[in-house]
Amino acid sequence: MTAPVSVAGLRSAARAWPERKRRVGTSRDRTDVRADLEAVFRSEYARVVAVAARVLGSRDQAEDVAQEVFLSFGRSSVPADEAGGWLTVAAAHTALNLLRSGRRRSAREEAAEDGPTVVPDVADLVVTREERRSVRAALARLPHKQASALVLRHSGLSYAEVAAALDMSPGSVGTTVRRAESVLLKELNRHASPE
Amino acid sequence: MRHPSEGVLRRLVDEPAGVTDDDRAHAAGCPTCLRALDGARADAQLVGAALATPTADLDADAAWARLSTTTTAPVRQASVARGRWRTAVRRPAVAVLSAVVLVTGAGVAAANDWLPIFQTERVDPVEVTSADLVQVPDLSAYGDLQITEEADPQEVADAATALERTGLAVPEVAELPEGVTGDPAYQAAGVVSGTFTFSAAKAAQAAAAEGEVLPPPPAGVDGSRLRIEAGPGVAAVWSQPTGVPTLVVARVVAPKVYSSGVPFETVRDYLLSLPGLPDGLADQLRDLSADGGTLPLPVPAELVTSSIAEVNGSTATVLTSRDGLFAGVVWVEDGVMTGVAGSLSADELLSVARGLR
Repeated sequence: MTAPVSVAGLRSAARAWPERKRRVGTSRDRTDVRADLEAVFRSEYARVVAVAARVLGSRDQAEDVAQEVFLSFGRSSVPADEAGGWLTVAAAHTALNLLRSGRRRSAREEAAEDGPTVVPDVADLVVTREERRSVRAALARLPHKQASALVLRHSGLSYAEVAAALDMSPGSVGTTVRRAESVLLKELNRHASPE
Repeated sequence: MRHPSEGVLRRLVDEPAGVTDDDRAHAAGCPTCLRALDGARADAQLVGAALATPTADLDADAAWARLSTTTTAPVRQASVARGRWRTAVRRPAVAVLSAVVLVTGAGVAAANDWLPIFQTERVDPVEVTSADLVQVPDLSAYGDLQITEEADPQEVADAATALERTGLAVPEVAELPEGVTGDPAYQAAGVVSGTFTFSAAKAAQAAAAEGEVLPPPPAGVDGSRLRIEAGPGVAAVWSQPTGVPTLVVARVVAPKVYSSGVPFETVRDYLLSLPGLPDGLADQLRDLSADGGTLPLPVPAELVTSSIAEVNGSTATVLTSRDGLFAGVVWVEDGVMTGVAGSLSADELLSVARGLR
């Protein structure tokens, strides 16, 4: 059963994307789906799921968010060459809204979750399931802009792209991301930085 | 030269080319900056690891099949609309509502004790866009909100139990509209109250995080307190077998706000001037607050239209979702707020509202 997923995130993605891009809106009829949807879907699906999964910590929920994001994209007239950025921003906003809506994950999802994540090239960075959960709780409490900047940056957007997507000055992206990271690490109770 | 900011050092971790030559050169030769840079790099890796969630071996074919079904099937409309409605009215709106309830109210002269400054007499929709909802600052960023009493909502067996728990009678519906059948589930919730203590330091921090500068707070505002009280409340909810609520009838003791310390208008005007509150919204709230009894109800303008109707002598606000799937009617009488909402037309709901006993 698919959970109802917010489309408000998309609206704010559209709002946040630069003016030039914003005008392209989502104005098509319900049944009028853009012709390149399948091609874009197949090339961008994994990326969109990964962005949402970073926020939600759950692959199932991330796939639900991806459905919602591509549904909106299919009805939009976003230029094809801007699809990647648009989808990334939309996935981040939609997933954050879902996370912040406080909907609890089902016991089944919790149980199905796999064990600790090990980042292959940084072998000593082992994050436990408990830690991942508290990081998400902290993410849900961050101011929206901080959370979005953090997720977009960790999803591979450049500083200039994050700035454009969130209507910030490029100079403030680093500060915002750094602050968000500090808050999240406080939750993990282990600052890696020497203080 | 001065050390580069931590934001610059953070960018140096990801995009050395995005940092000025001067900053880069300084950081490369400065032990303090090198240490900070190492810290930033380690923090970034740790956060990256904590956020990483395995998504290998996705079944794109199955996902595409699912999407194709959705894009060609208009039947999904109801559930999409429901999700949108819920999201629009749930968390952000509650945050706005609490902020708004706290910042509006009648002007009071200097008050040294808790003074009632706002007592809901009517409800007025304030039109906002979804974007505004996202923008409105979470009040907790500007001070400490301490919930002193939790509402503890619970499903109860029947209307009598709800009455016993809350002292409020569940309004009885004279005649159920077509399509609404069966027995309702009853909900009862106690009083919720909280104290908000404004903190200039916290607010400055929140503003800085958003890249804004906090306007200097007027004398006495730092540490001033507002107390809000709402509830108890009761509700009867009729649902379809699928769990979608078709009709909700609720009654709540309307919110009241008390202030302590500085003149309330000072606090209100200052809160309204904080960065993050959209200008249009701030103006609307300022206008509303000239009348200390009006509870501003944030309504996402692109999703919902509002109008006025009369319910047994009281002026009621009627909200209708633009897609026509949902509507609600809400009014206040003697400090008690009553609402009727559901997946029905406004006319049907008004007739339920007028027939409540």
